[in-house]
Amino acid sequence: MARKWFQQAGRKACVVGLDGVPYSMLHRLMRAGAMPHTAKIAASGRFETMDVSLPEISSVSWTTFMTARNPGQHGIFGFTDLHPGSYKTRFPSFRDVRCPTIFECLGEAKMRSVVINQPATYPARPIHGSLVSGFVAIHLDKAVFPARHIKTARQMGYRIDLDAGEVRDDPDLLFTRLGELLQSRRRMFDALEQEESWNLMEVIVTGTDRLHHFLFDAWQDPDHPYHQRFLDYYHDVDALIGHIHTRFASTQNANNFFVLSDHGFCQARHEVYPNAILAREHFLELSGAAPDPLEGISESSRAFALDPARIYVNRRTRFPRGSVPEGSVANVKKDLTALFGALEHDGHPVVRHIFDGDDVYDGPEKHNAPDLLLVPYNGYDMKGRVTADHPIGPRRLQGMHTWDDAFFITTRPDLVPARDSFHLIDVPRMLLESLDVY
Amino acid sequence: MKGFTLWFTGLSGAGKSTLARRTEEILLERGLNVEVLDGDEVRENLSKGLGFSKEDRDTNIRRIGYVCKLLASNGAVAISAAISPYSEVRAQVRAQIERFIEVYVECPIDVLTQRDVKGLYKKAIAGEIANFTGISDPYEAPEKPEIVVHSSTETVEQSLAKIIGTLEVLELVPRIEGAEYSSEEEEKIKKRLSDLGYI
Repeated sequence: MARKWFQQAGRKACVVGLDGVPYSMLHRLMRAGAMPHTAKIAASGRFETMDVSLPEISSVSWTTFMTARNPGQHGIFGFTDLHPGSYKTRFPSFRDVRCPTIFECLGEAKMRSVVINQPATYPARPIHGSLVSGFVAIHLDKAVFPARHIKTARQMGYRIDLDAGEVRDDPDLLFTRLGELLQSRRRMFDALEQEESWNLMEVIVTGTDRLHHFLFDAWQDPDHPYHQRFLDYYHDVDALIGHIHTRFASTQNANNFFVLSDHGFCQARHEVYPNAILAREHFLELSGAAPDPLEGISESSRAFALDPARIYVNRRTRFPRGSVPEGSVANVKKDLTALFGALEHDGHPVVRHIFDGDDVYDGPEKHNAPDLLLVPYNGYDMKGRVTADHPIGPRRLQGMHTWDDAFFITTRPDLVPARDSFHLIDVPRMLLESLDVY
Repeated sequence: MKGFTLWFTGLSGAGKSTLARRTEEILLERGLNVEVLDGDEVRENLSKGLGFSKEDRDTNIRRIGYVCKLLASNGAVAISAAISPYSEVRAQVRAQIERFIEVYVECPIDVLTQRDVKGLYKKAIAGEIANFTGISDPYEAPEKPEIVVHSSTETVEQSLAKIIGTLEVLELVPRIEGAEYSSEEEEKIKKRLSDLGYI
């Protein structure tokens, strides 16, 4: 037992996250020689595509990653949720995560984690190690544990995120800010890698997601004026990966390297508003203007949507103005499935998959889960906005998330499950196994 | 919920009493039995007659620790807010109490002498008060407190969020839903999510 503890105490693993980087893009970048460090790491192990948790957004995906559990167990179903027993919007935080994280599991095995820029970990809470929260962190002093790193972060001018409103119409400023973010991650990695003892080192790059939202066209079109700068940014991301890998590989017991994304990305062409569709088909009625639009939901409403495409049956047992008795929920789901399954735009189907929450989620938080989840065809960017008055409109951003086409890379091919398809939840399980923690 | 001791330590004027009282309010709202042993009040009662020599300070802290232990072992939350400047006796108190959470209220001495909320730093610097912690007597900052708050750079609300948040994670205090963000944070989060097209 003592020998096992010492062996565990010496084991190390490193994770680099690339938020919103699709397998297809990374594959092309590596083949084109644009990311040589990452290509070398991938060639030494396995590089696979994977699906992610639903809905396909960062708060859900990264929480699934850091708990190795599905949302029915960790309780995070989106960037927004509703206050229990109401239609008032709330923003789930790290404190709403209802099961232990892998950092706590490692802590029980006396292993320390250093986690940099992990989304969905704000406000930072004590872990066995160090944590610098990522998106949606607001205040640095609530985003850092332990507090002694706040001074370090301030002195290095650490930036949690860019101001999306500032950069969305200014590509030059966008690339400047993206560079600053990469520098922040590197400086924080350099500082904590040296200062702290650790078994798990995790660094997440989220600038990739920002770039894709605002300038995905520059990736798609080689003649785009910012195409080269797009590639240059990925060259810098690759340099960071190479730097982290080199430092990691120089430590003992350091052969457990993972790189992953939390969802894919594709070009957006239209926005789709499920709530407008529900309203048009009389599933949803809103009375008057309320500060929080869903608070105006009428008692005759049978369904509503939350971001990005979570459909909730307005159950009597769950919502204060719920109209659907439990015995009728299955029929309402059937009608909703038919409605969205038949949705077309210019002769093209809009919805690729409709998942039933009962099939997707499992665990004690399942009662808070959405009833249906819509996965659109590429190009149709689903938005949970309540106030849209038409079902489909022009895109506002260039890129949209995808549920599939995420990726992982591991230098431990022996840990990869023996099957043809993979899911995000496989990665933290492989990670824990690499550290002999189960 | 089991009783525990929340031990605030830090220089005079750093904010221990303010945070102790605000923490008490929050914990009372959550249904816990709470007692605050404030350093100034204890010196007027439990430790009346003790001075500020090292020996007397240690005795004062041991007495506070003893009372905290009794309270906590009977299911209450004992909050101590005394300077408790010496690490050795703090360690002795910690060793006596099963659930002991140390909160270091850090504030630079130059900020405290400027604030001088009780007018004591001016007198201490002028030599009118002897054995004044931080001026003529040492303060040994804790090396591994469970919680550190920085009263010169955080708001009271931010510090409280750290304290209560840690107590929730340690399952010493029951959580309440949706209480994590201030209204300012909520607005900023809403804007960020909207700018990125998520809502």
